[in-house]
Amino acid sequence: MADHTLDVKGLNCPLPILKAKKALKDVPPGGTLQVLATDPGSVKDFEAFCRTTGNELVESTTEGNTFVFVIRHV
Amino acid sequence: MASAPLYILLCSGEHEKLQMAAMMASVGAVSERAVEVFVSMNAILAFDAGTGERYKGGTFSALMRERRAPDAITLFRQGRELGDLKMWACSMALDVAGWDMDRLEPDLFDGPLGLTKFLSDAENGQFVTL
Repeated sequence: MADHTLDVKGLNCPLPILKAKKALKDVPPGGTLQVLATDPGSVKDFEAFCRTTGNELVESTTEGNTFVFVIRHV
Repeated sequence: MASAPLYILLCSGEHEKLQMAAMMASVGAVSERAVEVFVSMNAILAFDAGTGERYKGGTFSALMRERRAPDAITLFRQGRELGDLKMWACSMALDVAGWDMDRLEPDLFDGPLGLTKFLSDAENGQFVTL
């Protein structure tokens, strides 16, 4: 269970990433953010985002048409 | 290792190219990458604070409006808010258009800049022209 949740379903690139970056500002180091997205590009986008920002992609799964990511703020 | 800074030379006034520049700049900035955008030629016209019809483009421009793609100016603003994104207005373009900085969208640009300085700064970065 993540500490915070961000619903960006229906939003296109690059809004899911921009909104996640903004939401992570409110997550303390060590805390987690769950992101719900429907943009099919978001799977690879969040992998790259976490790699370049140093945050940890704890989980990347699919639930129906929704991509679910859990990011730990490092 | 930190990514090389990204330098975007934005000259086109086409909506599609403005949109791609805004997407690249904002994503780069929130990915912990320093980004600088130099706006010149027809592109500067899209940043006119007083314009009503800002974007001119082709098929994809129409599709982006129809599908309510995120506004390019908004993306630039978000990049500045969330990351290290600087924007410069080409001093030559301002002079030729007879504009000063007050004519441009407020709180979006860091100031006027010459091309020589921009190219000098970009020597060790990744350079993209649109």
